[in-house]
Amino acid sequence: MILKIAFRNIFRQKRRTILTALAMIVGFTLSSIVIGLSDGAYSNVIKMFTGNRIGHIQVHREGYHDKPSIYKTISNYESIGETIQGNTDVEAWTPRVYAGGLGSVGEKSTAVRVIGVDVVREIKATHFDKKVVEGSPLSITASREAVIGQGLAKTLAATLGSKIVIFSQAADGSIANDEYTIIGIAESGDDITDRVTCYLHIEDAQELFVLEGRVHEIVVIVSNINKVGKITEAIQERLNDSTLEVLPWQVVAKSFYDAMQSDKQGDAVARFIIILIVAIGVLNTVLMSVLERTREYGVLKAVGTKPIQIFWLVIYEVVIIAIGSIVIGALLGVFINYLFSIHGLTYAEGLTLGGVEFGTMYAEVNARSLMIPGITVMLSATLVGLFPAIKAARIMPAKAMRTH
Amino acid sequence: MEQTQKTDVIVTEGVTKVYDADGIPVNALNGVDLTIQSGEFTAIVGPSGSGKTTFLNIISGLDAPTEGKVLLSGKVLSEMGGNELSDFRRDNIGFIFQAYNLIPVLTVEENVEYIMLLAGVPKAERHDRVVAMLETVGLKDVEDRLPTQLSGGQQQRVAIARAMVSEPAIILADEPTANLDSKTGAALLDMMSQLNAETGMTFIFSTHDPMVMESARRLITLCDGQIDTDEMK
Repeated sequence: MILKIAFRNIFRQKRRTILTALAMIVGFTLSSIVIGLSDGAYSNVIKMFTGNRIGHIQVHREGYHDKPSIYKTISNYESIGETIQGNTDVEAWTPRVYAGGLGSVGEKSTAVRVIGVDVVREIKATHFDKKVVEGSPLSITASREAVIGQGLAKTLAATLGSKIVIFSQAADGSIANDEYTIIGIAESGDDITDRVTCYLHIEDAQELFVLEGRVHEIVVIVSNINKVGKITEAIQERLNDSTLEVLPWQVVAKSFYDAMQSDKQGDAVARFIIILIVAIGVLNTVLMSVLERTREYGVLKAVGTKPIQIFWLVIYEVVIIAIGSIVIGALLGVFINYLFSIHGLTYAEGLTLGGVEFGTMYAEVNARSLMIPGITVMLSATLVGLFPAIKAARIMPAKAMRTH
Repeated sequence: MEQTQKTDVIVTEGVTKVYDADGIPVNALNGVDLTIQSGEFTAIVGPSGSGKTTFLNIISGLDAPTEGKVLLSGKVLSEMGGNELSDFRRDNIGFIFQAYNLIPVLTVEENVEYIMLLAGVPKAERHDRVVAMLETVGLKDVEDRLPTQLSGGQQQRVAIARAMVSEPAIILADEPTANLDSKTGAALLDMMSQLNAETGMTFIFSTHDPMVMESARRLITLCDGQIDTDEMK
């Protein structure tokens, strides 16, 4: 019967119910959009940062991640790659050779970071071909060609067809020194990378640095980035080699990951402010509703309704309105997030997340964007409903019935 | 129900109530000692501000006395907690208010049923008793209406039905005829008098209405928070 009274009270005070519900619906929807957009943005950034650059998982010789060295190599990388590919969640893998050196074009020289790539695998794994904005990607077979970053091309005043000479030290202690024809200019999306990177065919790089049959890194791309932790463990187990380190992107790019986490904390503050506004709105309308009905609570109590039943009456009303508001808010949230996931939200000035800049945010329609606002709206509404509910429960009937 | 033996249903000992009116203490009741026995049909009369409503509120536990003690069916009200007092009121006292005070969102039938529902009376029994009670007060045809769809007289009949349906020992009626025309008031008073005779329930009225005073078999006059006269007819 208390539930029945609560239900009917909601429909009796339509204007107040609509006001209370509106506060909850707006709060839920805004919160849902904030989560949808930020999750979408993080997903895009992670996809850009991992899928196109560092991969989702990396395999190195033990200790390479903490202290990279030309000598810490993986020799049987083909068979290791095949073993990794045996995991059904792995989409692709690609080996890389890394080494530092001095790059010269004509009379200009600068420090370069040479990345030796398996062109076919690199295209499959990280869309290497799409990074080449001028000229063409490296040939499938080693042809003494180089693709250099846009920034590096500018520094060295290099154009397509220019010859770049790389000086460095090889893995056997000899001087590495060779010349390559620049056939492409690459743009990875990260200016710092593009200012120093020089891509060579993996076999050219192995020859230059005397690393025959050896690589420094195996980059792994998985089908579901959210399962990267479990897949990392599975690969580690499958390889069963304690001299190899298998690291998820969160460890490989710890500073990027930490920057994203702190950005997410900023979102939590935004959500908190939204919920605070909802809570104040709900508290105001529920408190007014209780004050208006002081006499009724007095009557209910006079005829034998227990204080706890009056308490529940107020809480039921708040919870019923909250449930209705959450349903409407969820429909609105899904609809708006869906629109943003297709059309995106374009910023006049680019937005930086975790050090990656982008101009359009695409939302994500996910369970989190419904569950977090749902839980917070329900909890905050119930929490602010407690005060009016306790107030109503503690009403002295005689005094309450004197009010009009 | 036939009355066999009279018992003391309400005993007040030195009941005093002091209100705080913007910092000024106002004595609503000044040491009222009174005993009311089962089956009485008593009217408490007096001018406005004499303490009639305060007295009804205190003997029903709706308000607490500043000093003194109230025993209802042998139980001291001030010794009961909030929930116990609610249960005690539900099981022992029926209220009829001047402003009817029905629950606006419940239908006539639900208003009458409400107290039995709180008391955990089984559904079938609740239904039978509601039907019988509405028939007694002449409201059988309006059971599905909301209080706002009823006249003042009909609303007061619902209030009477609600007060009596759970067969409490005591019915407290605060100015029950004040908002009714004389014909309706007389009809309801006759009905309550008849129910008192038939069931042996104790009726206590606070009233200004000469008609109620005429019907009462005991007339207590309050003046300045004290019993001025106490007359048995």
